[in-house]
Amino acid sequence: MSESQNKSLKDSAPTGSMKNKGKNTLTEKEPVSAKRIVYLLLPLLSIALIVLGWIYLSGRRPDMLPAPVDCWHRMIKLFTNPVNNQNLFGHIWSSLKRVLTALVIAWVLGIAFGVLIGWNQRAKALFGSIFELIRPIPPIAWIPLISMWFGLGEFSKVLIVFIGTFTPVVINTCVGISMVEQQYLYVGQIFRANQRQALFDIAIPSALPAIFAGIRSSTSAGWMVVLAAEMLGAKTGLGLLITRGMESDDTALIMVSIVTIGIIGALLAAVTSYIERRACPWRTDQ
Amino acid sequence: MENGSVRLSLSGITKTYSSKQGGDFTAVQDITLDVRDNEFLVILGPGHCGKTVMLNMIAGLEQASSGAIAMDGKRLEGGSDSISMVFQKLALMPWKTVMQNVEIGLQFRGEDKKTRREAARRYIELVGLAGFENAYPRQLSGGMKQRVGIARAYATNPEILLMDEPFGQLDAQTRYAMEEEIIRIWQQEKRTIIFVTSNIEEAIFLGDRIVLLSECPARVKEIYTVDAPRPRDQISSEFLSLRELISNNTDLAI
Repeated sequence: MSESQNKSLKDSAPTGSMKNKGKNTLTEKEPVSAKRIVYLLLPLLSIALIVLGWIYLSGRRPDMLPAPVDCWHRMIKLFTNPVNNQNLFGHIWSSLKRVLTALVIAWVLGIAFGVLIGWNQRAKALFGSIFELIRPIPPIAWIPLISMWFGLGEFSKVLIVFIGTFTPVVINTCVGISMVEQQYLYVGQIFRANQRQALFDIAIPSALPAIFAGIRSSTSAGWMVVLAAEMLGAKTGLGLLITRGMESDDTALIMVSIVTIGIIGALLAAVTSYIERRACPWRTDQ
Repeated sequence: MENGSVRLSLSGITKTYSSKQGGDFTAVQDITLDVRDNEFLVILGPGHCGKTVMLNMIAGLEQASSGAIAMDGKRLEGGSDSISMVFQKLALMPWKTVMQNVEIGLQFRGEDKKTRREAARRYIELVGLAGFENAYPRQLSGGMKQRVGIARAYATNPEILLMDEPFGQLDAQTRYAMEEEIIRIWQQEKRTIIFVTSNIEEAIFLGDRIVLLSECPARVKEIYTVDAPRPRDQISSEFLSLRELISNNTDLAI
């Protein structure tokens, strides 16, 4: 219902006299559409430049850097001659499965733990310093121990990714919860909210943007950690493809894996920001 | 109204903050004051002096260092169901729609959805925002946002409404309009209102009585009764002479 009214609200904001208004719309219409085309072309331009640079460099040292065309052929070959019985999609799915499993667990536990230490002073005093101590350890540093304890199977990989994704979720959630504006809590007090209501109706929604910042950075962290974990020992996954390429001097395979990693990473980021926009509708214009 | 019974009484309210450097800071000192039933009481004071602290103590957001607050003869501690507040910085939840913001008090009380929607809709209409129930605060202008704040405060059907410089952040034109609006709303839905401001004209335009506070620490300096009928004419001689009287009695230019 409110769409038309909101529009009229904004339109009715005084923006100079009527005379000027008419003039502006006449003169500004042309540049606006031209601008739009420029902004559509600019990203394509940068991609084109990179591909050109790639072609140029690969022409000079084809042994170091394979040409894009060779990479394309190498990718097709991945479907006819699978590596370890998996074609490219199979390897992508192996990596994604590990990341998504770890992410879902990290989000659930991380948000719960972040809310706990952000909301409850005692919990923060209890867990805060231990968490600060464990936090700076890069997840990859755990790989040797975890491999010794749990072997090289799926569980170990998911666990390593979980370690890398849990912390950003906890930190962002905790900061978001503990920085809830005093004014909002006063509103809760005035209207006699109990602790549960103050937490679920005020603190958590006000922390949602921070929580989503944690979800975003955990997603990109998870995608990086899974590849590192796979490179150190896996039978499937994009990380394995890179290692395989390195062992067999197959630079084209390495490039195919790298480009795939970039594309999937960008898609993951796009999906999380889509979810964020759906979950926080008040932050965007309709 | 003049003979209205006493609704709320403050006796000897003092609020002292101790700073870490050792020196104490007294924001409010020994305020004794009766607020009558359904009156529009304005607390007028210089810039940063204890007015908000006073409201916060009545609301139960802060505790008085000494003195007591009583409502209908009963000592008040930690606020009351029948006291509500309109905030200077609006304090609307940006993630809630107008409707959800207005019904928040009833929601916290555990009223079922139908009841609170009905009550909220009634007050949204009262403040002139019918049709904007599903808008988010960021889509509203400053004046409209504070209308939401007023509707929210009214929605729990309080007996006392505290208003902490509610129009302080509005531009002059919107402010005049909102001053007229708050009088219209109050005349339609009579409640006891305690309205804090640092603006003399606003105080005289709105108040049945005006409590003039001193510079820090805030004490009651003088209480003025405004008899002029509403709507008040801001350039009538009566208005201007009262304005001069209060202005000359004020500690700082406000």
